[in-house]
Amino acid sequence: MDNITKYLSRIVLFFFALFAVSFLLPGNSLALTNDECIECHSDEDLTTEKNGETVSLFMDIEIFKGTIHADNGCVSCHEEADVAGDEHPFPMSPVNCENCHDEIGEIYQNSAHGLSISDHNDKMAPRCKDCHTKHNILPPTNKEASTYPLNIPFTCGRCHREGTEMTKSHDLNQHNIIENYSMSIHGKGLFVDGLIVTAVCTSCHTAHNVQKASNPDSTVNRDNIVDTCNQCHVGIVDQFKLSVHGNPDSTTDKKRPICIDCHNSHTIAQVDRKDFRLIIADQCGNCHAHESETYLETYHGRASMLWGGEKTAKCSDCHGSHNIMPIKSEKSMINAVNIVETCAKCHPNANQSFTTYLTHATHNDREKYPYLFYTFWAMTGLLVGTFAFFGLHTILWVPRALIEKFKEITAKK
Amino acid sequence: MHKCEPLYIERFSVFQRLTHLLVIVSFLTLAVTGMALKFAMEDWAQWIAFMTGGFTVLGALHRFFAIVTFFYFFLTMILLYTKWKESGKSLLGFIFDAEGLVPNLNDLKEMIATFKWFFGGPRPYYGHWTYWEKFDFMAVFWGIAVIGSSGLALWFPEIFSKFLPGWGLNIATIIHSDEALLASGFIFTIHFYNTHLRPDKFPLDPVIFVGSITVDELKHERPREYDQLMASGDLDKLTQCRAPEAWLKRLSTVFGIFVVVTGSMLVVSIIISMVKHIHF
Repeated sequence: MDNITKYLSRIVLFFFALFAVSFLLPGNSLALTNDECIECHSDEDLTTEKNGETVSLFMDIEIFKGTIHADNGCVSCHEEADVAGDEHPFPMSPVNCENCHDEIGEIYQNSAHGLSISDHNDKMAPRCKDCHTKHNILPPTNKEASTYPLNIPFTCGRCHREGTEMTKSHDLNQHNIIENYSMSIHGKGLFVDGLIVTAVCTSCHTAHNVQKASNPDSTVNRDNIVDTCNQCHVGIVDQFKLSVHGNPDSTTDKKRPICIDCHNSHTIAQVDRKDFRLIIADQCGNCHAHESETYLETYHGRASMLWGGEKTAKCSDCHGSHNIMPIKSEKSMINAVNIVETCAKCHPNANQSFTTYLTHATHNDREKYPYLFYTFWAMTGLLVGTFAFFGLHTILWVPRALIEKFKEITAKK
Repeated sequence: MHKCEPLYIERFSVFQRLTHLLVIVSFLTLAVTGMALKFAMEDWAQWIAFMTGGFTVLGALHRFFAIVTFFYFFLTMILLYTKWKESGKSLLGFIFDAEGLVPNLNDLKEMIATFKWFFGGPRPYYGHWTYWEKFDFMAVFWGIAVIGSSGLALWFPEIFSKFLPGWGLNIATIIHSDEALLASGFIFTIHFYNTHLRPDKFPLDPVIFVGSITVDELKHERPREYDQLMASGDLDKLTQCRAPEAWLKRLSTVFGIFVVVTGSMLVVSIIISMVKHIHF
């Protein structure tokens, strides 16, 4: 008898478990079918009142059938609707994507977007549906998807474009990011050249783990930027990590630049274009102020301020860019073994003597450049002396000449 | 006695006038193109570079008119050579001629007399060249030597550095640029005033374009030369009735005023820029 009870109870338990599991399966046969939902929701005029606004409850099932969730039943997401009969509770709780996408959900919950909602109840912070849409969710490889690379700047731009309610009401560090991005080398790669391998918003910021740059875990935090750029620019980062600026073994306590200090994040320009070449001295000057200022006093610097001046030598033409080495290193472009070759890029007949030209000379430093200092002051003395004498000569002449002229006029009368 | 009224006397030959025209065009272009580079951080300099088509165009113009400058320097040497041959004097006698272009003791006396005149003394007894005119002439000689040699070094830096160290180019830059500042500043203020803008000539003395002045002007402005010509009896031979052509006078005035205004604008821009960059 005991055995029979045990046996029966196992059968009951089995069916009970089967029943319970069946709820978790997509399109479960025991639950409400999509056709049943559509009976009501195919009505284009079906609406409800929500927060005083009329909201459509129409559902275009044909569109849904083409999406990544086509095999799911309506009730897999809208769980509360899964009740027998025609009526379901109203209003229903919001759809919770985390039921299936639990890992991404957890990442999102801890992102700047997720925390804005949970910590600050920020009504503008995006939820899943704001980026992925509600029913028209397509894989990111589909051109129509809101998450397809060509569409991402528009998806993010719905909130992050300058002048939206979000940018007006939030204190943001960066401005005009969509406009700047579209003018940048990455943006042009996307919009002009149609490259889907170019960096879009999510390439640097990630899709779900978007964090403020001040957060040490952010992919755009100073400490992580090099690795973030390294996702694509592997060869450059390899060079950079050997250079004086990027060597991880360096023991210097000076602040060293990372990618975005020279290549601005959203306005990143094509480096051989003149708009980039014209600001190199300013970029390097952020740290190397004295070198930048004195460079601008020389022919190279002066000419670079004029129209067409992108052609003259810039910092990187002599020092290199990602591969800048200490001058003592034989790999340095300005080390004695390489400098003639470096100058010869523009001055084909350069020789060793030629390279002693002072590319950062200033006549204001008597200790360092006494010849220039004294030449300048000798010339200044000559100028001041000449103008002082002839200036006085003219100043005294003017009243006398006016008196003579006056006499002449009155004599004629 | 007089052939006609007014009577004219030639002060500058056609050769001299054309040479001065070359000086004007080349000097003005050199000054504008060079100062645009020296003051590249200023808006006006960037405007010049933009309007001319960029700094490579400025550089090409600068080098072209450098060649023109060497050319008129050469023309002037020819002129001086022919003058020397005409004079029949020894070379030193020609160079240090009492009425020649090289300053002498009499110029110092005349300068002192001029300062006295400023304060009410009698007008000095000026001859063919006043001391400030001699200074202008000698300054161009000196200027071409200094600016020209340093400019050639900067034009051909690789060749220069075969003979002198590369940092000599830094010194050449300072000399070239400051001597040019002196030259432009001097021509566009002192020379303009002394020759054109002073009240008795304002706005322009066209003699350098039209060539002749009236004998009355000569008598008033250069009494010593007038007396010398009277004494030697050369005055009658040199005077003529033909007045400078009206079209030439008009053209000279328009061109001359254009140059004076352009030069003045440049010098005002330079002064404003320099004052702006003085840090007390």
